[in-house]
Amino acid sequence: MSERNRVTPQMSSLEILDFLRRTPGVFLTNNERDVSQSDFRCRIMPQTTLKVAPYRDSTGFFGFEIIGGATVHLDLMNKQINPFEKLRLVRKAMPNTLIQAVCRGRNLFGYRPYPDNVINLTVELFSKYVDIWRLYDFLNHVPNLVTTAEAVKRTGKLLMPNICFSTGYGHTDDYYVGKAEEIVSILGEDIILGIKNHSALGSPARIAGLVRAIRKRFPDLLIAYHGHNTDGNDLGRMFAAAQEGVKIVEVSDHGFGGIYSQAPALSFIQNLHDDGIPTPGIKIQPLLDTSDTLRRERRYYEKFTSPFRGFDPTVKRHKLPGGALSLALEQAEKAGLLERAHEVFSELIEVRKELGNFWLVTPGSQILWSTALSNVLHGRYEKPSDDLKRLLLGRYGPFPFYDPREWIFEKVLESGRSDGKKWHEILAEEAGVLELPDDDLKSRRLQLERHLKRSVTDEELCMYVQFPIDSIEFFRFADRFGQAWLLPPDVWFREGGFPDGTRIAFPDEKGRTHHIDMVSTRHSGDSVHTSLLVDYHFQTYTTKVPKKKGA
Amino acid sequence: MFKKLLVANRGEIAIRIMRSAQELGIRTVAIYEETDKTASHIMRADEAICIGTGPRKDYLDIDRIIHAAQSTRAEAIHPGYGFLAENPQFSKQCTEAGLVFIGPPPQVIIDMGSKVIARRIMEEAGLPSIPGTSVLEHGEQGEGAAAAFAEKHRFPIMVKAVAGGGGRGIRVAQNMEELRRFIAIGRSEAKMAFGNDQVYLEKGLTNPRHVEVQILADMHGQVVHLGTRNCSIQRRHQKMIEMAPAFLPDDLSNRICETAVRAARASNYLNAGTVEFLIDQDDNFYFLEVNTRIQVEHTVTEVITGIDIVREQIRVAAGEPLSIEQKDITFRGTAIELRITAEDPKNNFMPDPGVIELYQSPGGHGTRLDGAVYQGYEIPRYYDSMLSKLTVYGFTWNEAVDRLRRTLDSFLIAGVKTTIPYYKQIVNDPDFINRNFDTSYIETHPHLLDYQEELPPIDKLAKLVAEINAYGYNPYSGR
Repeated sequence: MSERNRVTPQMSSLEILDFLRRTPGVFLTNNERDVSQSDFRCRIMPQTTLKVAPYRDSTGFFGFEIIGGATVHLDLMNKQINPFEKLRLVRKAMPNTLIQAVCRGRNLFGYRPYPDNVINLTVELFSKYVDIWRLYDFLNHVPNLVTTAEAVKRTGKLLMPNICFSTGYGHTDDYYVGKAEEIVSILGEDIILGIKNHSALGSPARIAGLVRAIRKRFPDLLIAYHGHNTDGNDLGRMFAAAQEGVKIVEVSDHGFGGIYSQAPALSFIQNLHDDGIPTPGIKIQPLLDTSDTLRRERRYYEKFTSPFRGFDPTVKRHKLPGGALSLALEQAEKAGLLERAHEVFSELIEVRKELGNFWLVTPGSQILWSTALSNVLHGRYEKPSDDLKRLLLGRYGPFPFYDPREWIFEKVLESGRSDGKKWHEILAEEAGVLELPDDDLKSRRLQLERHLKRSVTDEELCMYVQFPIDSIEFFRFADRFGQAWLLPPDVWFREGGFPDGTRIAFPDEKGRTHHIDMVSTRHSGDSVHTSLLVDYHFQTYTTKVPKKKGA
Repeated sequence: MFKKLLVANRGEIAIRIMRSAQELGIRTVAIYEETDKTASHIMRADEAICIGTGPRKDYLDIDRIIHAAQSTRAEAIHPGYGFLAENPQFSKQCTEAGLVFIGPPPQVIIDMGSKVIARRIMEEAGLPSIPGTSVLEHGEQGEGAAAAFAEKHRFPIMVKAVAGGGGRGIRVAQNMEELRRFIAIGRSEAKMAFGNDQVYLEKGLTNPRHVEVQILADMHGQVVHLGTRNCSIQRRHQKMIEMAPAFLPDDLSNRICETAVRAARASNYLNAGTVEFLIDQDDNFYFLEVNTRIQVEHTVTEVITGIDIVREQIRVAAGEPLSIEQKDITFRGTAIELRITAEDPKNNFMPDPGVIELYQSPGGHGTRLDGAVYQGYEIPRYYDSMLSKLTVYGFTWNEAVDRLRRTLDSFLIAGVKTTIPYYKQIVNDPDFINRNFDTSYIETHPHLLDYQEELPPIDKLAKLVAEINAYGYNPYSGR
């Protein structure tokens, strides 16, 4: 251990758990992944992350969540960075802080269950960089966590299975204590149990009660709290959880987050210290330095913030989590439906109740949101998605509290069937969680090698089996353009061409500065000739740009 | 000394010659064909004159070149290498036109240009020669002589064109059937390439080392040698990497150099030349041929001796004595030269003409470049594919190899395929590093062709910036 009052990646998971049990106070985990996903539509670029990495590393966070959830897929699609490369860079820049990943159980970083060998490969490869695995299942169906959890145990990394939290019918403390019992009975007590309050639900008193109930049943179990500040009230919940003995609480930087994502670390620390609760290892100055830098970076990401500014106490009704909320609004905006968003939210409330009152978290949140959207556009359950059919067939696991009404089964399961089978026949013949056969990874590797016309790494294979189409696009991009993450965010998100004389300067991974100077731009038909001074040598590139429709 | 000199060549050697001439205060004249009008040697000369539409034919047209020299009032012509450099008619016509030909007299070129005559002269002077025949007669008589030679010396046997050179017109037969076939093919190829179908046979040596000695001879009877070079790394008899010295045992090196001087004297040699030898695996050496011109690889000798060979050539041609005596010549360190060409090693070294989009040359201590290209230059498909000669110096062999590796890493050429990535493989090859190579090196190291060619990372990013600029947004950001 390099410093007495903080954990380091060099410690074993048992040493870390022991340290947490012995050390009084509350540890903090910075969740940039969720800040990026909830408040900036997953757009925070690696350059920004790396710029503040030295400050964050010396702040003394317990963990730093930078990967998982939608981020893996969107890193490939929108940031053109290999998630493994991002992790390698973060690991290098933050050698003293545990890296945390959030993982959707059997669904890993995707939207559907994966075969065991894909899960094992993914956990093994990501564990080269990831120290803490925060696992959850959107139906709280604990068997869905087991394969991934066992894979994590084999790597010796920290396991943090989560209970997804919500309110309303069925969501009692007894239910959640029962879930904790189920988890502990399968995975033991050498874990950190997470409470995942993704939709910012419940009052501080409600959260305090829940923590108290779990601790009463398992007094020595380490508990972490992951909340969102969507309603502006998470500081209260975080503080209540801390007072009841939660050991780790997730936070954001005040320079960045604090709306749909986590509440700011500094405010939380001030509350804790006023109440005499220590925050082991935390240093304030680097926390301030981080946010001073992030405040200057924030302007690059303003256009990705929610079209509805400010807190949203109506989350208590629609229950969409921070990440899903901003992405759902983006989707509605692209579809030209922003004006009708309130209709979709109202429908979402209905749909959630009708479909079992489960947790709105991936992939459940997407299923419910797209069902609500479809119901508004095409009529109620008139055009059910395949994912909704899979949900009703129990492919993801059983409904936690009650089954949907029969008419919904009928509309959804009988839709598009050519065999004339009735919904109860379909349920009788097809329902249940499927045993997935192992993926033939050898032939998948050959497939990918044929696509790319080169040999591929295990990490590339891992991405390919989860996101076949988008990963091929990404690999081709990377073969062509290399380390695009080196470009500063204002270049990456550029709107409009660059005026002559513009200088783009940035350091490479080794710290060497490079310059790209715009010399001229010449349009000729559908071609654009861009002349540049690239590290002081002259280059002209010709790009064919498709004509705009109607132009 | 001359006031003006015409360089009857193009590319890097033309520039190389102009540099020495200009240092001597001599004005230089470049010639060019219309198809070569963007070549950089034109820009480096004090004057330039177009000698025809090209391609290639005008650089070989003696009358046009002599006329160009006369019309620009040049007093001397330097032929460089290739083109007319070893054409005795050119040397002769220059002299007849009152121009000084910077090279040996016509008779020396004639004698040394004929492999058979050269061998006879050298044998008479007591030089060890590879066993060989005289010119093979046509028909049964020639076939009989070939069979008898094969019987006596055994295979492999080389079939060589009398007028060949630079690795051209050579075939290696491993059995009688091949020998008969190669004699027939060799004749027709030699007729087409050199206008002379005469061939002869030589005993082939197994994986010999190719060593040559640079000589300089003036009109005052002085002949000196500038030491040895090893040119073993060849592809199909074309040299790729050359170095000086040849790293022979001192005794062998001294004997070879003395033999080369004896050969020069025996042939009444004048000006700069190279005596080539093959050394077998028992350190026996055999006379191979004399090249009566400046060699591509002369730079390695210049680097380790400090002597400007082209400067000496010009002085000798002007009637001045050599500026150095044998006792003044010392050898210090190691030099290695690579021929950087626009060829695709992965595609059988096919020439790859095109526009040089990026040209960033290396520099620093111990780095010498003899180049003739520039960024934006379109390499014409009509001429040889040489872009630049990279010569590095090291106090030791290992230092030279390290420097070579460093300079290759910082030598950036994009737009055309080049031999740079292949050389990068070679400088990291343990056999090369340990000087464990002979003339079979390229053939026996095919794995060196297994490399990835990539643009420098910054250029890849620049390409992306250009796309963002062209679109007015980043098409890859999920916008």
